[in-house]
Amino acid sequence: MIPLVEFLGVSFAYGHRRIIGDLNATIFGNECIAVVGPNGVGKTTLLRLATGTLTPDRGTVTLESKSLGSLKKREIAKSVAFVPQNVEVPFSFTVEQFVQQGRTPFLKMFGGLSASDYEVVRRAMELTDTWSLRGRVFNQLSGGERQRVKIALGLAQQPQLLLLDEPMQHLDIGRQLELIGLIDSLRREGIAIVASMHDLALIEGTFFSVWLMSPDAPMRQGTAEEMLQPELLEEVFRCPPNYRDVLRERMRREPVL
Amino acid sequence: MAWEVSWYRAGIVHGWAGEHRHRWLLAALAVLLIFAVLVAAGMGAVEVPASAVVRNILTGSALSADQRIILLTIRLPRIVAALLVGGALSVSGLLFQGLFRNPLADPYIIGSSGGAVCGASIGVFLLPPISVAGFSTTALLAFAGALGSITLVYWLARVDGRTPVVALLLAGFAVSTMLSYSSYFLEVLDRNFGTSMRVLASWLHGTIMQPTWPQLAIVTAMIAIGLAGSVPLVHKLNTLALGEEYATHLGLSVQQIRVAVIVIGSILTAAAVALGGLISFIGLIVPHMLRIVLGPDHVRLLPATALAGALFLLVADTVARTAIAPAEVPVGVLTAIIGGPFFLYLLRKTKQEVIA
Repeated sequence: MIPLVEFLGVSFAYGHRRIIGDLNATIFGNECIAVVGPNGVGKTTLLRLATGTLTPDRGTVTLESKSLGSLKKREIAKSVAFVPQNVEVPFSFTVEQFVQQGRTPFLKMFGGLSASDYEVVRRAMELTDTWSLRGRVFNQLSGGERQRVKIALGLAQQPQLLLLDEPMQHLDIGRQLELIGLIDSLRREGIAIVASMHDLALIEGTFFSVWLMSPDAPMRQGTAEEMLQPELLEEVFRCPPNYRDVLRERMRREPVL
Repeated sequence: MAWEVSWYRAGIVHGWAGEHRHRWLLAALAVLLIFAVLVAAGMGAVEVPASAVVRNILTGSALSADQRIILLTIRLPRIVAALLVGGALSVSGLLFQGLFRNPLADPYIIGSSGGAVCGASIGVFLLPPISVAGFSTTALLAFAGALGSITLVYWLARVDGRTPVVALLLAGFAVSTMLSYSSYFLEVLDRNFGTSMRVLASWLHGTIMQPTWPQLAIVTAMIAIGLAGSVPLVHKLNTLALGEEYATHLGLSVQQIRVAVIVIGSILTAAAVALGGLISFIGLIVPHMLRIVLGPDHVRLLPATALAGALFLLVADTVARTAIAPAEVPVGVLTAIIGGPFFLYLLRKTKQEVIA
């Protein structure tokens, strides 16, 4: 089986600040991966490298064995969708107009949306349960609605891989669980998912694999069960010694789903 | 933009003509435009009734020789100029607003008109009048000036891929003031003292000059290029509204769009300035009004903006030249009087949403 996306000896630095060093990892077509690590460790950078927006300083990132550097951005966007953390839209686009932007990589130079484009957009919105929001203005949505609409835009790209950057941020527990349910159903649709996650309690049950990024050690990869061990997390998150019991207590909790 | 949204969302606009609202609006604008042209052709010191104008077009008669000369050499060129300038400024406003991701961008406010005036006055004052067919070197320099100033303002005002209102207005103000006043400096170097100065003065006030048909032909060509160039850009501006990073993820080359919008916006601004000088705020008012009715989709806004801008300036210019006849108010003064308060109102209304 050919990996969908593969990181081959990838290093990346912002100026002199090394973020990612000699990373090797693969994403297969049916995977659901949570990227975990402390703030500033490079989770978003990792996701951006997978979209080709950032180019590695060393090594290559491949999409179905082709180097991202050799592919056009449009071609990548037809396979890999990135759902950013924050979006700020200066004009009052409706939710439907917003999601339609997901068809951008498929449009011809002068082309508008075709009937099949509208169909894809509609399906993406139904899957994320946002069709009923289609006439609302994106800027006026609540956090949870926004998150689902952004995912709908990603789905409108008909991607094989969906990258979610901190999808749970600013969501209340109810919306978080709703989103976990959505991720589950997308996984069943056969879409590979990689999400950077802060809330460790939401990982088990949905994300089979975990990539654990730490500032001063190579990235660890394993099943959720293997990675979410208090000893490992203590080290990676540099948990102060007097809080270790709290961490252990937290991780002992039953997974939510 | 809560207010804008409430209109757009409220039944008033939304229910009316439904999905085909933009087509109806285009048709209505086209009809109004024809009507306005006929009325404007009739207005002035010598009255030429609209019915006679129509009959002249249909049958080739019905006008006296005097009326015919007035119509063909004075009124119609002026009308065509107003249409061109209005359409060009409005469309370049729309393009700049999309690029800056900021509804307050306008060729005048962000300094591209100032740059065009500066470039054009170099042509008027310093270069011998060797220009072909009216003002081609001047138009070229106006284009260079617009291009230079807008690039400078864009570079100055950008913070992390966004252009905050404050940065945009300050950079635009500074660049625009420097360039406009440098035109006064050029005045000192004037070779044919007097005549060029009047040309400059009328430009800075924004007067649509009495153009000749060859001049109009050049400007029409520039604007046609500008409008044709805008067509493939507008749906990209919709995507760009989500932010530069998002647009990049969706496979757009933001750098290409940036260069294309700046070049095309500058062609349009330069063409407008060459005919009408500094006419303020129209590039702000027209797209904004249409956004209230049509929503923010740039694809729908482009044709409507071109037509509405042409209509708006034709009406304004006709008022400007007839209201206190035989004297004439520069139309730029008129648009500033209407547009200034409108701009301040917009600034006040959008400050939370845009600055934050």
